[in-house]
Amino acid sequence: MKMLISISWRNIWRHPARSGVLIGAIIAGIWAGIVLSGWANGLIEQRFNRVIQDELTHLQLHHAEFLTEREPQMTLDQADSHFRWLADDERVRSFTGRTLSDGMIQSPLTTSGVQIRGVDPDSERGTTTFHQNIVEGEYLDSELRHPILLGRKLAEKLNVEVGYRVVLSFQDLENNLTSGAFTVAGIFSSGHTDYDERNVFVRNRDLSELIAGELVYHEIAVMLYDAELSDELVKELRQEFPGISAETWYELSPELRFMTDVGQSYLFYIMIVVLAALAFGILNTMLMAIFERMRELGMLMAIGMSKLRIFLMVMLEAVMLTLTGAVLGMGLAWITVDYLGERGIDLSAIGGDTMAEWGYDAVVYPSIPSGDFVSLTFLVVGVALISALYPSYKALKLNPADVVREK
Amino acid sequence: MISEPTQEDKPMSIITTHNLSKVYNPDTVPVHALRDVSLEFEEGEFTTVRGPSGSGKTTLLNMIGGLDEPSSGYVVVDGVRITGMPDRKLINFRLNNIGFVFQSYNLVPVFTAYENVTFIMLLQKSSKKEMDDRAHELLDAVGLSSKLNSRPKELSGGEQQRVAVARALASRPKFILADEPTANLDSKSAMNLLDMMEKMNREENVTFIFSSHDQRVIDRARRVITMVDGAIYSDEKQTPKRTEPAK
Repeated sequence: MKMLISISWRNIWRHPARSGVLIGAIIAGIWAGIVLSGWANGLIEQRFNRVIQDELTHLQLHHAEFLTEREPQMTLDQADSHFRWLADDERVRSFTGRTLSDGMIQSPLTTSGVQIRGVDPDSERGTTTFHQNIVEGEYLDSELRHPILLGRKLAEKLNVEVGYRVVLSFQDLENNLTSGAFTVAGIFSSGHTDYDERNVFVRNRDLSELIAGELVYHEIAVMLYDAELSDELVKELRQEFPGISAETWYELSPELRFMTDVGQSYLFYIMIVVLAALAFGILNTMLMAIFERMRELGMLMAIGMSKLRIFLMVMLEAVMLTLTGAVLGMGLAWITVDYLGERGIDLSAIGGDTMAEWGYDAVVYPSIPSGDFVSLTFLVVGVALISALYPSYKALKLNPADVVREK
Repeated sequence: MISEPTQEDKPMSIITTHNLSKVYNPDTVPVHALRDVSLEFEEGEFTTVRGPSGSGKTTLLNMIGGLDEPSSGYVVVDGVRITGMPDRKLINFRLNNIGFVFQSYNLVPVFTAYENVTFIMLLQKSSKKEMDDRAHELLDAVGLSSKLNSRPKELSGGEQQRVAVARALASRPKFILADEPTANLDSKSAMNLLDMMEKMNREENVTFIFSSHDQRVIDRARRVITMVDGAIYSDEKQTPKRTEPAK
């Protein structure tokens, strides 16, 4: 085998220019494929983290019909026992109770439909990272009476700023229309324009007071130490509290799960396309190499080199040629992704607003799991082997008598 | 199928061909490359098969070397019938029994002279020391001990052919088949090569069978077989003579 590796490696460099061009193409293709999928992976990862950490959390509890009906009276009647159960579980990192309502927001200029999210400032801060989205003013632990947080887009639409007053109108538990005046404490920017326009945040005790006259919860959001545990915890919660709805993040947001599933295989979809194109280059180079060495291969068979060794020699040549380019391409891509992963790719100048409308950050931090490089190596070797099959077969079909007879 | 040597095989014969015939394109335009060729070669022979182009010299050597299958007849080498032998066994048989020298040298261009010689011993799984000793001995014998690390493109045609002879001898074959070995060489290189092979034949009893229409090769042989249209025209012993190159 050592002999075959040696001869194959030297064969690659018989025509340095030809091999160099192919290796260059492999480097460029693999580099581009990895950096592109790193960018897509980073984009998806950032979106996932933002959705989970800002609001969705790993699992949520609701009244059994709340998610479909969204009626104000569909509250969690045994919220205290839920809180106790969660507080006693070691897998739970933190949780928070929320009061939710759909209503209208009114400013002196205009009116808009919104989802009103009543949160407990302390436990919400300990559970989600939403408070980090405040870009102006302060969070809900403000000294103001009935503080409210508005998204930047909504604030612009209502033409209000920090310190302005707005009126929220919504249904109470008796289905009566009620309303309350709130003072704008802060402006937030979640990175998702649509979300910023349709959601407002108030203190849950203020909202509950207006809805029920006492503290009520429509939603309990739970963060775990390990997202993978959400399944088993939800199962246990369903057994423990059969009357309520307990759902994992991916049941609450199937589109997020689809996105992460696609994201995990994104690298391979891209690389399959890149490598399919490169496979023709490898095939062409190897066929040229075989055709110009017909007589030499015939001589090797004549003097006693077995067909298996000839076959292995050609296959090894293709694999080494491809791997040389692939390793260099992967190395270069790793350096690029690492560098850009630290500094980010700022796309704000060429479509940051559009990205924000779709819920993505304008600055993307590419990332590739290191395990993907191992899988990619196998993929590259596989493509090289497949590409070399036909040239190797051609070499095997040589008849040494025909080849050495040609003078 | 491999058979034991028959009664017909004389004990001293190293190669026997029995009624060898080869027809190319039998179903379209048949070309009779060999017609009923029966020959015997003894150990230590220095024989040239002569004849015009297309007379069947190379085809005969390819049959003897197990590179081609006859349409009828068979070849026995050292008591082993090689005709019809399975491909894998035949390759192995060639590796250990037959040395080849080709008209266009056919050295591996990415190997040095030393590596070209040791390559065949690597295939035989010889030890490092054995390979090293044998390569030095052979390259010294062909006068190339100073060019061990030269690649084929750094050697002249004559030097390349001498490396090819050293390579053919490296596996310690029972005989060497040399197809037009001097065809691409100038007179001086051809004479040097023939001197060297003759010396190996005389001193080490290496059997050489040439195919050639080069008069210098024919003059050196002790036996000359003449072929015409695929058949043996004559088979004669002669006293070798050395034709000096023209100055």
